Amino acid sequence: MIELRNITKTFFQKTRAITALSEVSLTVPEGKIFGVIGSSGAGKSTLIRCVNLLEKPSSGAVIVDGQNLMDLSPKELAKARRHIGMIFQHFNLLSSRTVFENVAFSLELDHTPKAEIEKRVTELLALVGLDEKHHDYPVNLSGGQKQRVAIARTLASNPKVLLCDEATSALDPATTKSILALLKDINKRLNITILLITHEMEVVKDICDEVAVISEGRLIEQGAVSEIFSHPKTELAKAFIASALSLDIPADYKERLVSAPATNKRPLLKLEFTGQSVDDPVLSEVARLFQIDSNVISARMDYAGGIKFGVMLIEVFGTQENSLQAIEFYKSKNIKVEVIGYV
Amino acid sequence: MSDSMILLLAKGAWETIVMTFVSGFFGFLIGLPTGVLLFMTRKGQVLEHKTFHHTISIIVNIFRSIPFIILIVWMIPFTRALVGTSIGVEAAIVPLSIGAAPFIARLIENSLIEVPGGLVEAARAMGATPFQIVYKVLLPEALPSILNSASVTLITLVGYSAMGGAVGAGGLGQIGYQYGYVGYDVVVMNTVLLLLIALVFIIQFLGDFIAKRVDHR
Repeated sequence: MIELRNITKTFFQKTRAITALSEVSLTVPEGKIFGVIGSSGAGKSTLIRCVNLLEKPSSGAVIVDGQNLMDLSPKELAKARRHIGMIFQHFNLLSSRTVFENVAFSLELDHTPKAEIEKRVTELLALVGLDEKHHDYPVNLSGGQKQRVAIARTLASNPKVLLCDEATSALDPATTKSILALLKDINKRLNITILLITHEMEVVKDICDEVAVISEGRLIEQGAVSEIFSHPKTELAKAFIASALSLDIPADYKERLVSAPATNKRPLLKLEFTGQSVDDPVLSEVARLFQIDSNVISARMDYAGGIKFGVMLIEVFGTQENSLQAIEFYKSKNIKVEVIGYV
Repeated sequence: MSDSMILLLAKGAWETIVMTFVSGFFGFLIGLPTGVLLFMTRKGQVLEHKTFHHTISIIVNIFRSIPFIILIVWMIPFTRALVGTSIGVEAAIVPLSIGAAPFIARLIENSLIEVPGGLVEAARAMGATPFQIVYKVLLPEALPSILNSASVTLITLVGYSAMGGAVGAGGLGQIGYQYGYVGYDVVVMNTVLLLLIALVFIIQFLGDFIAKRVDHR
């Protein structure tokens, strides 16, 4: 549905040329949700803006729904854009218009008759769960509600494709979840292909089918979400996965933490489960085999694309020898072990 | 103050109001599209065009740098050709409009710059034409700021029209000049001042009031 072929984008700043994207190619099949993840400045914003030609690539082909957008005249491009929806990090609602009028905006551009606008907008606001807010101005809405209005507005023109430019980055975690659920629902119900960019692995994990990692204007890794999560090849992909699972040591443990073993101190271990880790009930096995008791202090386990991964912080009770054996046992199961210290 | 003097002041006040608002209207008629063009052809905007932008920008700057009192005199041939005379209210409206237009153009340009760029981007992404971007996004979004510019412009025009009074434009300015500056009639001079102050206050109050009503930011 969306195909980028060898997209290169170079900006000129005075005499200096800056390459924001180099030789980027990706394909988003119809009905799929494709995520592009990268740090700020990696070129992901430029990438998504190339899909509807808000930013014209220096070279390459942008094919949406079988049409090469680079070949179109400005007038034809404006028409093609009506079938490419886009939502933004900062919502970009018109402050001078009510919720209803904002959603009506894209229909007005097409000179849709008033009665039809009325019907369609009411329908869309019901779809995004804002029936009560027709006559409110954006300033009186919460972030999540604003993004819902933006989604309704972009759906008004029946797009086949939806581009999400950091759509949840300005929202709190709970609101992010609800917006992602809405996007997933739209994807399933209306069969809209979604391309999204984000810096949060959580977003990719929650709704994407496929993911690409972008760094310095290049796609360094791409594949199915389960594939990337279980076998990340690049350091960056690993770092993003880890960031979705960061774990902090509680403050009172931190205070008691020493780096060398001591009497009355017990080891504090960080266990890291990845796609390669053997899916066994390791904690109880260790307890049985080595007479080790484990106190789970904090843990963050997750399940994405059919694999289990996560991190766990445990305090180990047992003799020093047994503890060492337990650590070896974890390692043999492909679980990464780090001795944080002794508490 | 004699009845005839009160009548004269009332007539003068009316002329000042007419000059201010009519030239304000024509000033906007020229200045608004110019300001929109200035903005739209800026670097990074939808109709980016360096040469065009610079050309208008230079013309605007030239007209803004001519002192108003000189502009009136300088424009006499044009004014005469347009309205048939170079004295009186009608004649004053011509240089007042021309004097206000570049000022308005800059104010409009600045009002449009304040509109968040993301809104234009969203409209482009939805397939809006440049014209639709102007009248459906930029102007409505900048309206509160444009209305503030309108009050600033009208108040400036009150001052300009009074200045024009000194060279035969009529209005309160002429009365103030003749009876105050030349004749040194303190009562008339102060009444003229009070009337001008009242006019400025009314314009500012109405401007603020309307701008607040349309502001949903």
